[in-house]
Amino acid sequence: MQVSILREPLVLALVVFVGIVALGYVFGQFTKRVLTAIGVGTAVEGTAFERTAQGLGSSTVSVVSRLSSWFIYGVGLLFALYVAGVLDVSVLFAELTWLLPRAFIALFVIIVGIIAGDKVEVLFNERLRGVKFPEVGLIGTVAKYSVIYVAVLIALGQLGIATNALLVLLAVYVFGLVFLGGIAGRDLLASGVAGLYLFLNEPYGIGDRVQIGDRAGVVQEIELFVTRIEDDGTEYIVPNRTVFEEGASKRLP
Amino acid sequence: MDTVSELLSDIVENADAVALFSPTGSLYERFVDADIDLDVIVVGTENGVDADAFVEIPLEFTDITDLVEFGIGAAVGDGYIEEGDVVICATSVFDEEIDTVSRVRAAESVHSDLYDLFVNSRAEPEVIRSVLEVAIDLGKKGQKGKPVGALFVVGDAGNVMNKSRPLSYNPFEKSHVHVGDPIVNVMLKEFSRLDGAFVISDSGKIVSAYRYLEPDAKGIDIPKGLGARHMAGGAITRDTNATSIVLSESDGLVRAFKGGNLILEIDPEEY
Repeated sequence: MQVSILREPLVLALVVFVGIVALGYVFGQFTKRVLTAIGVGTAVEGTAFERTAQGLGSSTVSVVSRLSSWFIYGVGLLFALYVAGVLDVSVLFAELTWLLPRAFIALFVIIVGIIAGDKVEVLFNERLRGVKFPEVGLIGTVAKYSVIYVAVLIALGQLGIATNALLVLLAVYVFGLVFLGGIAGRDLLASGVAGLYLFLNEPYGIGDRVQIGDRAGVVQEIELFVTRIEDDGTEYIVPNRTVFEEGASKRLP
Repeated sequence: MDTVSELLSDIVENADAVALFSPTGSLYERFVDADIDLDVIVVGTENGVDADAFVEIPLEFTDITDLVEFGIGAAVGDGYIEEGDVVICATSVFDEEIDTVSRVRAAESVHSDLYDLFVNSRAEPEVIRSVLEVAIDLGKKGQKGKPVGALFVVGDAGNVMNKSRPLSYNPFEKSHVHVGDPIVNVMLKEFSRLDGAFVISDSGKIVSAYRYLEPDAKGIDIPKGLGARHMAGGAITRDTNATSIVLSESDGLVRAFKGGNLILEIDPEEY
């Protein structure tokens, strides 16, 4: 008798649905634990997304874990409908199995993108706080929206929406950044690489009497980009690339 | 009937500025929003309230007189107040919260030696602070319980190196450690076993240990009873633009020399 009840499609569907809902709930709790354990809660602190979530009486961790639960609930509902035979799912099912995971991933990528963007902005602003120059905040904002833009692109790509025009825009943006950055920072880059060599090999050290280019004196400080040499009360700040372009001489003790 | 606040109002009346020592954010905002004709200056180890007029103090003072003197001296040096101004200082003595109010006239004498040591040295203030902390820490604990002496020469490292000789191999050769790095305190403690000076650059890089200083010590006047370490530490600051911070093995005090003169003497136990 019992067996025959279980064979009723409606009952079976209910069992399946309840089972999957329980699974989804457990998975959500598990995600929450994992996210808390790896310190996501503290990492996203101070970002706009977390503040918004907190304003709605929630937090980033619980939003993400609830999202993963709902994804499983959705799958469970579909599967239950399929078992119950309410839905003629053979057509719909193919569509949904394609769309559902992608929609989930897209949503997830957007959330991660927004949080990462916020975090990047906070990081930039913290590093640049010492610079007393109001417009410097623009760098953080630009960095934030760049990250979000890339996240949106990935999300749209997941959903199969044509993003070619946006990709071209991104390519132009990145090219401009690299190209202009390369031109503007060429000297700095050359000095930085030369500075690395000076750090690793220390051909001269603090206290040595050297001549770099046409500047001679006692080395006071070796930094990544410049070497400070002092002679008779004057400190010369020599870019490290000069060492490679013109060579340096050191007086032996 | 006078109330207590009326009776004590003399302390806060006719002042030119008010200095809040490490205030909470809400207290600072109340002062800024209040309609008072006074400059509000915040003094503390860090600017937690984003105040415009902020005076940084480099050490955690326990003696409140030292703290106020340093804060006022630094505020004069930074140009927030002028000499002769009357400043109301709100400090905390017993708890974290502000519980004490004092009235100070900013005079030249208040412009403390300690302020001079930090601000007018060649090395960065942060570096001097770290070295002072290492010396104080070393003075408190010693090495394996025994009192230990040490000599740090900070700043103008190029010239100091040219006026000294190595006593032994240099353990900091080709290393890039800076004072304030977490591992450094242990290293300095170990290397203070052998006599000789630590040489530290303007930016805090430890250039060398075990240096024998060879300055011209003629005419250097240090208090009687101090030994060769202090003499060398004092003399090198006259020959170069460096600052010396010396921990005495015999009396455990930390002393700082600049321009050949003893400018600071502190007892590690007080900090």
